[in-house]
Amino acid sequence: MPNPDTSAQPSRNMMGASYAWLRRASPVQRIPHYWRQPLGLIATTAAALLFPIISGNDANIDSAANALAFAALALGLNIVVGFAGLLDLGYAAFFAIGAYTYGALASFQLEPAWSGFWEPFQWLDLVARVHEPSGDTVHFQVSFWLALPISAVTAALFGVLFGAPTLRLKGDYLAIVTLGFGEIVPIVARNWQGLTNGAMGLNGVAAPQLFGWSFGVRAWPYYYVGVALVALLILVSTRLKVSRIGRAWMAIREDEIAASAMGINLVRLKLLAFATGAAFAGATGTYFVAKLQTATPEMFMFPVSVMILVMIVFGGIGSVWGVVAGALILQILQSWFLEDLSQWLHALGRLVNVEWLQQVELSSWIEMIFGVILVAMMLYRRQGLIPATRAVQALSLAEQTAQLGVNTGTGGIERLHNLGDFTYRGDAPLLEVKGLTVRFGGLVALREIDLTVPARSIVAVIGPNGSGKSTLFNAVTGLVRQQSGIIRFAGEDIERAPPHAVLAHGMARTFQNIRLFPNLTVLENVLVGMHARLHTGAVGALLHLPRTQREEAAARERALEILAVFGNRLIPRVDHTVASLSYANRRRVEIARALASEPKLLLLDEPTAGMNPAETLELAGQIKSLHELGLSIVLIEHKLDVVVSLADNVVVLDHGEMIAEGPPDVVRRDEEVIRAYLGRSASLGGVAVA
Amino acid sequence: MTTEALYLQQLINGLSLGAMYALLALGFTLVYGILELINFAHFNVFMVSSFVAMWALELLGLQGQNTVLTGFALVGALVFAFVVTMTVAGCLGVAIERLALRPMRAVRGTAAMITTIGVSYILFNTILLTAGADSKNVPNPMPDIRWAIGDATLRLREVLIWAISLALMVGLHLFVTRTRLGKAMRATAQDAEAARMMGIDVDRVIITAFFLGSALAGAAALIFGLYYNYTSFIIGYSAGLRAFTAAVLGGIGSVAGAMLGGVLIGLIEAFGGQIVSVRWTDVIIFSILVLVLVFVPTGLLGRSAPSKS
Repeated sequence: MPNPDTSAQPSRNMMGASYAWLRRASPVQRIPHYWRQPLGLIATTAAALLFPIISGNDANIDSAANALAFAALALGLNIVVGFAGLLDLGYAAFFAIGAYTYGALASFQLEPAWSGFWEPFQWLDLVARVHEPSGDTVHFQVSFWLALPISAVTAALFGVLFGAPTLRLKGDYLAIVTLGFGEIVPIVARNWQGLTNGAMGLNGVAAPQLFGWSFGVRAWPYYYVGVALVALLILVSTRLKVSRIGRAWMAIREDEIAASAMGINLVRLKLLAFATGAAFAGATGTYFVAKLQTATPEMFMFPVSVMILVMIVFGGIGSVWGVVAGALILQILQSWFLEDLSQWLHALGRLVNVEWLQQVELSSWIEMIFGVILVAMMLYRRQGLIPATRAVQALSLAEQTAQLGVNTGTGGIERLHNLGDFTYRGDAPLLEVKGLTVRFGGLVALREIDLTVPARSIVAVIGPNGSGKSTLFNAVTGLVRQQSGIIRFAGEDIERAPPHAVLAHGMARTFQNIRLFPNLTVLENVLVGMHARLHTGAVGALLHLPRTQREEAAARERALEILAVFGNRLIPRVDHTVASLSYANRRRVEIARALASEPKLLLLDEPTAGMNPAETLELAGQIKSLHELGLSIVLIEHKLDVVVSLADNVVVLDHGEMIAEGPPDVVRRDEEVIRAYLGRSASLGGVAVA
Repeated sequence: MTTEALYLQQLINGLSLGAMYALLALGFTLVYGILELINFAHFNVFMVSSFVAMWALELLGLQGQNTVLTGFALVGALVFAFVVTMTVAGCLGVAIERLALRPMRAVRGTAAMITTIGVSYILFNTILLTAGADSKNVPNPMPDIRWAIGDATLRLREVLIWAISLALMVGLHLFVTRTRLGKAMRATAQDAEAARMMGIDVDRVIITAFFLGSALAGAAALIFGLYYNYTSFIIGYSAGLRAFTAAVLGGIGSVAGAMLGGVLIGLIEAFGGQIVSVRWTDVIIFSILVLVLVFVPTGLLGRSAPSKS
């Protein structure tokens, strides 16, 4: 298969012969590519584990432990902003919730009076009974290790609570609402003295213990806990990213409407992203407060949320290793480098006798530096230090023209297995529309449309621009809700069903203007189409069970089969982002994505638009073959030769009304159709191919 | 003080705050109406402008609360301060659009919004690092003329603030509805692509929106200084969020809505502080923001639901 491994072999054209020595000289290039990732991982792990031994300086280890906390936060925000594309400006609120959860569970802050209610907790060693002259009180002493998951869950619940009312809103409104929540939480923390001790800070938070040995105020045990936490969160992030869940998040980020039309439940998945991100912050909050052994509301204000945002923008939005690198680099810059640099400047100032150089304190410049980084990265390197998607080089001419074993041109796809079952076997008509009316304000876009699509048929919808064809698709698939009438699919009423439920019933569609997920690869786009047919949830993706792996492998195999429907058009480009494809290939990907959902009925909105006559012919042949496999199709099309060659039945719309219906041969002779669609004097034959 | 007088006093305070928030909200609404962008830089354009206003007044030789002007001198000083502050603020807004936001216009998603946060941060820290973290005393040249209404007091500065805000808002309304550029602006807000095809210079419209919005933020900043007699690097955040809430409450994208929302938020702040507690004011205002967004996303005077398709 002509699928070049670009990481191993840089293009000869790019490097040029004279630079060949450079390639040989580079030690990294001499390592076989399949070794690079494991070796990199081993080197990173070794460096992380050996750092305290090499460094030996307690202050440095402490800064590194803090940096790890921010790496964990960056990983969490990356789920929300990077994967799901939801801008959360109050992320520090969840950090605060995690911190105060541990504060409440393991400090002297809350001391309710003792009663029998607490006895079971005492047996579990979660609370202790403290004898005091004024009466016995409860002392909470929940273990740090137990508090980590508890605060993760607590923060996740708050994530759902904050997210639920706002996730129906457009993205930028979410930003402002989260900004508000990010403001409210520290205010509540400041004013709720009983729980938080306000601005004075939490009292006597317990240090973690391991087998009875307390961490105390040493830096290195916290450092190793931080390493473990970040490693765990990296694992969670990478596993989610390549799973059904991660793909759904990225699809939402790229195009919400298309994601919803491809079977993704927007509200549920956005809440999942919000809750996952919040859980990361919650666990990190517990880690951080256990390390500091106090917490004040100022630790969780807006600047902290911005700092985490800067970290992920700097490292690369959506890139797991990128955001870790971004967080560590910026933290190191802040805690080590700026101090040192200030010292050097002071020395320089003394040397050249310049007063202000001796005074300058660069650490107060950190927020300014963050602001500059944010703007500069956005303007000049939006993908960050380590981009989430690596560019795949364009195909060579030989690769583009390579012939595959499977068909090119028309027919032949019946040789493909495993495409899915497209055949509807029920008794009720596949799609039945009765009296469908759609109004936008005063405009009637569709009036009293009746339409029946029998099983295993191809129905074409034609009509002039603005006659309501696409609105018909939008109404049937649940994207337009301003409607009255009955829509039945396979005997079930679906007129109130949201788009993702319509797809799950077995009706998939393409869009007139092409709505792909531009920054996902061809393969990922097709895999998103399978969302409703796959079952892996967040937990399954995390545990990476054999069942999950089998499902994923089968899905990828089937995706390749589906792409093979289009011969060698897409197969060599499976790893390319769709943004780099030609217009015609994007149309093909969109059809492949719809097929991936294993529909019984496929709605194609101008599938051959932008294709030349040869490509049009090729696609018409492929549509016909799919139909022969049992798929029913509704087709919006302007090219009448395509309509005539494919359709069993033609429906003509004009100004939102159905003006004719019948077999193609009858409809093309209908006077009213000719007048409405082609203009008075046009003859059908002459215009058809135009 | 009787309860009635207390409420009357809060009404006066709330209207003054509201006038300021309305001016600030207009900047959000103008830019949002055209670019569908929440401009976080606006928060700190306001804050920077309050320093510009202070420097403009000090340029006239006014210091602290000692110099009191009357008659033409007062009018002249105020006109000078407003013109300077609004011009500088407007140019700042245009510079932000030109340097940081125009390159982001074609980029989908949250990138442009993130950029405005960065710009806001830069403005914030520029003032913090140059002018310092302490609050500054803003000169107040207005004579201390008071009218007693029962137990409540109405001061000259409040009347002046109301009059100036009203004049600016009427001016903006006339500009948007009567002038060619204003009509181009409304057309671009409806459909930028169609406007461009009809020969409207969309870049010029966007620049105008940024200039006007920021200039109004400048006016709001001067009013802030005259009202509270202080400024500080941190004032942008809470005033900005209140003004944004005002814009959403009135219906973002709607000029009249921003004015109405601003006045309402001002009143809510004044009465909320009176009835509940000042320390919960922020929470009350953000709760309103969330409730409005969830239940009436169009706001009071907005046209359509905020959903991009």
